[in-house]
Amino acid sequence: MAVFTGEVEVLDPIGMHARPAGQIVKLVKETGYDVVFIRDGEEPTKANSALRLMAMKVKTGEKFVVSVEVDDEATAMGVIAQIQEFLKG
Amino acid sequence: MGAELKGLGVGLTAAVGSVHVVAPAQPLPAWGKSTIGAAAEMERLKVAIAAVTQTLDELGTRSDATTAEIFEAMKMWLDDEGLLEIAQEHLDEGSDAAGAIGEAFNAFAVMFEGDAAFEERIADLQDLSRRVQASLAGISVGLDLPQTGQLVLVGEDFSPADTAQFTPAVVGVITRAGGPTSHTAIICRARGIAAVVSVADAGSLVDGASVLVDPVGDRVVVGGSLAEATKPLEFAVTDAESIIPVRANIGTAADAATAAATTANGVGLFRTELLYLSASSQPSIEQQTASYAEVLAAAPAGPIVVRTIDAGSDKPVPFLNMPHEENPSLGVRGFRLIVEHRQFIADQLTSLEAARKQTGREVWVMAPMIATVAEAAEFAELARSIGNFKVGIMIETPAISLQVDRLAGVVDFVSIGTNDLSQYLFAADRMNPALGALLNPWQPGLIRMLQKIGTDGNAAGISVGVCGESASDPAFAVVLAGLGMNSVSASPSQVNVVRNALASVTADKARAVAQAALSGVDAASAKAAALAELAR
Repeated sequence: MAVFTGEVEVLDPIGMHARPAGQIVKLVKETGYDVVFIRDGEEPTKANSALRLMAMKVKTGEKFVVSVEVDDEATAMGVIAQIQEFLKG
Repeated sequence: MGAELKGLGVGLTAAVGSVHVVAPAQPLPAWGKSTIGAAAEMERLKVAIAAVTQTLDELGTRSDATTAEIFEAMKMWLDDEGLLEIAQEHLDEGSDAAGAIGEAFNAFAVMFEGDAAFEERIADLQDLSRRVQASLAGISVGLDLPQTGQLVLVGEDFSPADTAQFTPAVVGVITRAGGPTSHTAIICRARGIAAVVSVADAGSLVDGASVLVDPVGDRVVVGGSLAEATKPLEFAVTDAESIIPVRANIGTAADAATAAATTANGVGLFRTELLYLSASSQPSIEQQTASYAEVLAAAPAGPIVVRTIDAGSDKPVPFLNMPHEENPSLGVRGFRLIVEHRQFIADQLTSLEAARKQTGREVWVMAPMIATVAEAAEFAELARSIGNFKVGIMIETPAISLQVDRLAGVVDFVSIGTNDLSQYLFAADRMNPALGALLNPWQPGLIRMLQKIGTDGNAAGISVGVCGESASDPAFAVVLAGLGMNSVSASPSQVNVVRNALASVTADKARAVAQAALSGVDAASAKAAALAELAR
């Protein structure tokens, strides 16, 4: 296993609210990978809890790093792309 | 005939059903230390969470799509790993299950604080916390009503959360408290549910007893049959013109379409708050124009009276950052927002002018919560500088009620909001269910004030309308016409019956009915005298 990272940007006009947070956690649980959101100057947040993701209060236009622990880079990039899709609003 | 309980009737439909007493929500037990160990507490917690999940599933299946989506999100949070981790920590420290889950929900509620986008989610979390703790304690928080049957709900008063759970089985409602403008009354009138509120002896009704809910008779009869229901005054359906126009109260394009299917002559009150209360940022002028044009286009033929934003700290608009107030109904609300938010009100008028041009409709605009002639003049000047409107104000404060003569040449019309005028005239909080009887429109204090406003408005050459709940009662609408009102505006569901009433009397008859109402020394005798004169 290796850790791959990529940056995502929140485009949803209300920020990372209940719906995208729920979609992300559902994806993380279905895939079973360890996914962590890393924002500068903060403790990383495991993406297995919608409530924790909402509590990050990420606003529209903010960017943060997503790290995925998985065997191959293509799978990791696929997961990150999906997360970006959920954050488009 | 069985016992007869007096109250205030809501609407004209009677119903017979069996009593279903709704107990006041039981308090949740205090949190404590576990006596059975963390593992056993976690088992109890999981059982409670499963039970709440099932309840949310059931609620979701009988909700509209938006509400169902909220229930789906709430189900997901119940199973949230972050939440359960915090609960586990508290269990490990010796808490009982209720304390552990309560602390876990509180932890997230605190994290969500201070962000407008999450305010409603905090309420959802607290609701979940309450539901899980209630399930652990074996007490009920929901109404849990059956879908079928003929139920008459009996309770202290019903909140929006309660009425949202009413099923088609609810044919009648009886409350011990609450007045004619309470949430319960408004919902029951809109849905055609027979209701009698302010029934002091409601506590004597027992589960399963058959009762007649007789709103026209302002009473509940134990063991009564529909045949005993007081007949509403029969106003024959007629094509004749009503003595004054009957308009409709609306808040959305869907309401406008509903109103257009009635005999309404235009719209007497278009509440514009709905466009803003759920928006996290101010809609652009283009967005506002499109929303208004949709409503104007769908509205019934005739003038459309638009009320500018009527928000306050109890009905906050997220993007206006309204601070908390101790007494929101006496605070910065309605037109008073102009001090801090002049541009917002100007934008609203600009959007209305654009929508008016687009649709070619006749638009009147009015400002709520006006207390002085200077405020009325300020609004009139602003509105006339922006659009081609007839300009007016709402009459809700006693202060402006006494100065209608001075509005000559200042505004074109006034519209009386009887719900708020009663609240301010009687110093009786509309939200306090114990004060419902003071808010009865048949109270002599209100009728005398309405007489003064009507008389002064006519002398000043100002058109006077009424758009409060009181105008939805056909008999009271006749009184209003007799007091000199130039139009009334009612809920769409009541427009036809009010119009029939006002088409079946002459102006002279209406004046006689109003004089009869003025002779009453209390609400009951005012109403009885007016009804007797009407029946003559």
